[in-house]
Amino acid sequence: MLGKLLKYDLKWVYKVVAVFYVLALIFAILTRIFFSIENSLLFKIIGQIVNGAMISMLISSLINCLMRSWVRFIHNVYKDESYLTHTLPVEKKTIYLSKVLTAIICSFTTVLVAIGCLFISYYSKANMDVLKVFLKLTAESYDITVMGLLAIISVVIFLEILFIILIGYAGIIIGHKSNRNKMLKSVILGIVLYLVTSTLTLVVIYIIGLFNQDVMNIVNTTDIVNVDAIKSVMIAGIAIYMVYNVIYYLIGKMQLEKGVNVD
Amino acid sequence: MELVECKNLCKTFDEKQILENINLTIPRGKIIGLLGKNGTGKTTLIKLLNDLLTPTSGEVLINGKKPGVESKKIISYLPERTYLDKTMKVSQVITFFEEFYDNFNKEKAIKLLKDLNLELNQRISQMSKGMQEKLQLILVMSRDAELYILDEPLGGVDPATRDYILDTILTNFNEGASVIISTHLIADIERILDEVIFIDKGKIYLASPADELRSKENASIDEIFRRCFKC
Repeated sequence: MLGKLLKYDLKWVYKVVAVFYVLALIFAILTRIFFSIENSLLFKIIGQIVNGAMISMLISSLINCLMRSWVRFIHNVYKDESYLTHTLPVEKKTIYLSKVLTAIICSFTTVLVAIGCLFISYYSKANMDVLKVFLKLTAESYDITVMGLLAIISVVIFLEILFIILIGYAGIIIGHKSNRNKMLKSVILGIVLYLVTSTLTLVVIYIIGLFNQDVMNIVNTTDIVNVDAIKSVMIAGIAIYMVYNVIYYLIGKMQLEKGVNVD
Repeated sequence: MELVECKNLCKTFDEKQILENINLTIPRGKIIGLLGKNGTGKTTLIKLLNDLLTPTSGEVLINGKKPGVESKKIISYLPERTYLDKTMKVSQVITFFEEFYDNFNKEKAIKLLKDLNLELNQRISQMSKGMQEKLQLILVMSRDAELYILDEPLGGVDPATRDYILDTILTNFNEGASVIISTHLIADIERILDEVIFIDKGKIYLASPADELRSKENASIDEIFRRCFKC
């Protein structure tokens, strides 16, 4: 059943997001073309414009991906379409998992499209050399390999996006528990949960700093901090966000399993 | 085991009691009219049977179990509002039902679509509300369910189509299955009812076999209803 739900959820989300992907790719190709024409100020200006358009399409596709996933969730779980969703022979936790996976898959493809567009727009041997040197230097300063650095960056981006997705769903689910102003409460709750959790992260890092002077130096001084301290904070951050994601996923799942009260 | 059992079922919204201590059993193989004025709790009761609301207290049992995956396999529910994804075509909705409900009969659905002049490649967004309601009825009646719950199936349709809809219900529900029809258009459905349940102010006012009630009161169900709930 999860596969069937996913198929319909992804179809609905990609119906609009795919348009942004196509536009971003078109603008990426145009950027490439206009940037490759030399000695023309006009083409350089047009190149900058289409480049800006590409960036805005990529940002729009990520925003749309998240927004459409949440809107789909509200429509399917609390609005008119919920009369069908909740009478399907499917467990509520499966419905929830499908929505979460849809948002994750969409975000993942958006990141891939973004990488693809940037590659199309800016690829050149010189640029790749600069990127390689930059990655190598950064990796060396953290005493890890380039692949390790890329893996950590990917994990951090994934966890942060997942965190935003799950906060959104948790806000919607808790907001719709009440009988009035459900949408307003959902939005406010989402923002409040995000702020509270982010503040909590800082508090946790501060507490770690109480036991580790290097970590405390990140907060207290503007001096060049120890690389190990930054690594400790990064690892702690990854662990904290993993815990948050598990907690928010379980909150959403458990609240939904308790039952709904559709309008 | 009864098909549906409600035990001391209560539902409140913002401290307002919508349903109060409902005790009810629905047997198999009957057509039951859930009758009441607007806002008396008919839809709330139906939503509780369909797991669209959670009871404040008491319980609902379908085939002896709380509403869940198993009850959804055997209940075919027609809500009072249109619940289809407007971006889909009729053919896609048919495929959707076929994928999710093992007891969905595609051939029956296509036949009913032809009978009601609905086209497979039509988009839901291009259909009128009445057409969407007909489509939903077709989808619901094309399932070989054990219990059909129809909330105001005649609400948005013209009198000529009402007879067709009632005939569709009568000729398409499973042998041995039960049908709960909620409506306030009693005169239209009276002829098909085996049992009636009058609901008023969130309570069961009366539950009786239809024929027994008619003989006892020497009047039609519609007249009895009007007498009971005269404003």
